[in-house]
Amino acid sequence: MSEPPAEVAGEANPAGTASETTSATTSATTSAAPPPETPWRRLDARMLLVNPLETLIRALPAVIAIVLARATSESDDRWELLAVPVILAFGALRWLTTRYRIDHGQIELRRGVLTKQTTTARLDKVRAVDLTAKVYHRLLGLTKVEISTGSSAKERIVLDSLRLADGRRLRAELLHRIDSRVLDLPPPTGPSVGGPAVGDPATTATAPPAPDAGDEVLVRLDPRWVRYAPLTLTGLASAAAVVGFALQALRTVGDESRTIVSGARRVRELAIWVDVVAALAVVSLLAVVAYVLTFWGFRLTRNRLGSFHTRRGLLTSRETSIDHGRVRGLRLDEPLGLRLAGGRRLKVVTTGLGDERGGSDWLCPPAPRDVVTPLARRISDDEDAVEAPVVPHGPAARRRRLTRALVAVPVVAAGVWAVVSLLDSTPWLWLAVPVVALAAVALGVDRYAGLGHLVTPRHLVTRWGSLDRRRVLLRRDGVIGWTVRRSFFQRRAGVATLVATTAAGSQHYDVVDLELERAYALLREVDRSLADEFA
Amino acid sequence: MDDLDETPPTAVLRDPAHRVSPRARRMWALEAVLGELVVLAGQVVWWFLDDGGRTTHWVVFAVWLVVAVAYTAVMPVWRYRVHRWESTEHAIYTQSGWLTQERRIAPLSRVQTVDLQRGPLERLFRLATVTVTTASAAGPLEISGLDLPVAQRLVEGLTAAAVLDEGDAT
Repeated sequence: MSEPPAEVAGEANPAGTASETTSATTSATTSAAPPPETPWRRLDARMLLVNPLETLIRALPAVIAIVLARATSESDDRWELLAVPVILAFGALRWLTTRYRIDHGQIELRRGVLTKQTTTARLDKVRAVDLTAKVYHRLLGLTKVEISTGSSAKERIVLDSLRLADGRRLRAELLHRIDSRVLDLPPPTGPSVGGPAVGDPATTATAPPAPDAGDEVLVRLDPRWVRYAPLTLTGLASAAAVVGFALQALRTVGDESRTIVSGARRVRELAIWVDVVAALAVVSLLAVVAYVLTFWGFRLTRNRLGSFHTRRGLLTSRETSIDHGRVRGLRLDEPLGLRLAGGRRLKVVTTGLGDERGGSDWLCPPAPRDVVTPLARRISDDEDAVEAPVVPHGPAARRRRLTRALVAVPVVAAGVWAVVSLLDSTPWLWLAVPVVALAAVALGVDRYAGLGHLVTPRHLVTRWGSLDRRRVLLRRDGVIGWTVRRSFFQRRAGVATLVATTAAGSQHYDVVDLELERAYALLREVDRSLADEFA
Repeated sequence: MDDLDETPPTAVLRDPAHRVSPRARRMWALEAVLGELVVLAGQVVWWFLDDGGRTTHWVVFAVWLVVAVAYTAVMPVWRYRVHRWESTEHAIYTQSGWLTQERRIAPLSRVQTVDLQRGPLERLFRLATVTVTTASAAGPLEISGLDLPVAQRLVEGLTAAAVLDEGDAT
């Protein structure tokens, strides 16, 4: 996918300013002439302010409780203030003891106040670099750098915090050194070749290396896309999270039961449709707020090596860089609501980010089809894989989708029967059975309509699901193994699930309920030599 | 549809070449019995804690007996028929399961680690399990019930092949 635009990478730049590749050149010199030690670097001293602030925020419930207790008590002791010097001292110690450096092709991090700890990772294992800045980081011009070096969330090096410019420089250093090609590149000249507007002038003016120069901007958030926010499960989930958080805050402050009871009474007095509309409005509003907080200023760029950079966030800003060598494919999501409204969203399938960890795999937030589809086409450079109709899986697959959906009907019927016979008062509940049956049939039909696969010269495409439909474009060379799974019922129906395992994304992508012969034919089509081994 | 049963020569891959050790059947049976005994122990505890009537106890016991006997009789034989493996110069190929059956294939160039495990039961029967992992968390190939010398030879062969390949196999 993302092959770097070769004409840019290969272009000779005679009159170069050495600014951008400084890091790269230094590394070349250090490895050539063996100097004894690369100096250690420290975190930015302003983390001394961040640390107590974070501790305070973490301890907020306790602080509130203490304040409330003080308000009612007579005592003048302020023993809790003892914690302040301790927290400050701890922060200072942490700053004094934390240091990092890049040396001999690896990044080293030393830290620990009581237990000394040294973390080392080879630079070629660096898979993604995240810069995260919460509000207070941003006020201080700081950012937290997280370097993923393996597939699990534990294999990470976290530098909290560096100055934003330092963080970006470190990121450029890390990601550029991964790629030996950059060492051979001549330094860049002036403005970029074909890219539209590059970076915001403020950062390019202050930051000495302009790593953004030469990047092509692939997508920018259009504020009108906010209308898609209430249509995704993620949006609803974040709305639920906000409600939960509010309830918890209410509980911390004090007596929540009375508020809830009086609120419930007021709600009950309203007509039912008013309740429904109000609930919808609140949930939509929260989803919109969550969308704005997460995706404000979203921007996806690709540099001349083909690595992706995203930047997003209203209060907490996040910058993610994904090394192009780790990308194994794309995931186009069309959850039901979004699909009906003509929207889609795009994620990247890559090694090194755990499955959807922290959402750093976004390539495009929920947005109109007309934006996402061309974007996917541009990134994957494989029109068929993005848009061509997928091959359906046949009658057995359809039967299985319907049977599975209809299982819900007897369950609901039994539930209704139990309620009606126990309470003896609500026979209209029986209406639920035909409604559920209709919904189940619709769901089964739509799930079958979603099911399909496709092989293109470079990708294996699989699509599935209804409420959460996904179309995954997996690079054929990213497939590192196969499983053909057949449950008892699948064997009776003569179908199999072909699983392509991969080191990226959710580690495996399934082609569900394909007739057995076609499953093997698909395996053979994607990996001829492997299949011939056991033909 | 049914003419597909005429085994078109091209489509379906053949079975992996080798069966696992016949002793694996006895090991799986013993494993099943041990698991069933744990359930039985739960029932015994319940028998002594419960002061009420004994009818439910006998019903549950009868169900346990039928399920346990059927499972112990059927599962090991069925599983032995399914379990197969093969390793060539370029790839490793396994087949396992009984109710749900799986075939797994991985090219040796993608192999990351090769493990040989021997639990207490496997030691008792002089058997071993070989686990071959790839860079995918969803991709390990497991061959259980191998004769110990066979397993050792397999591990040596696979390790030698895996060492030959460069790169991080992702």
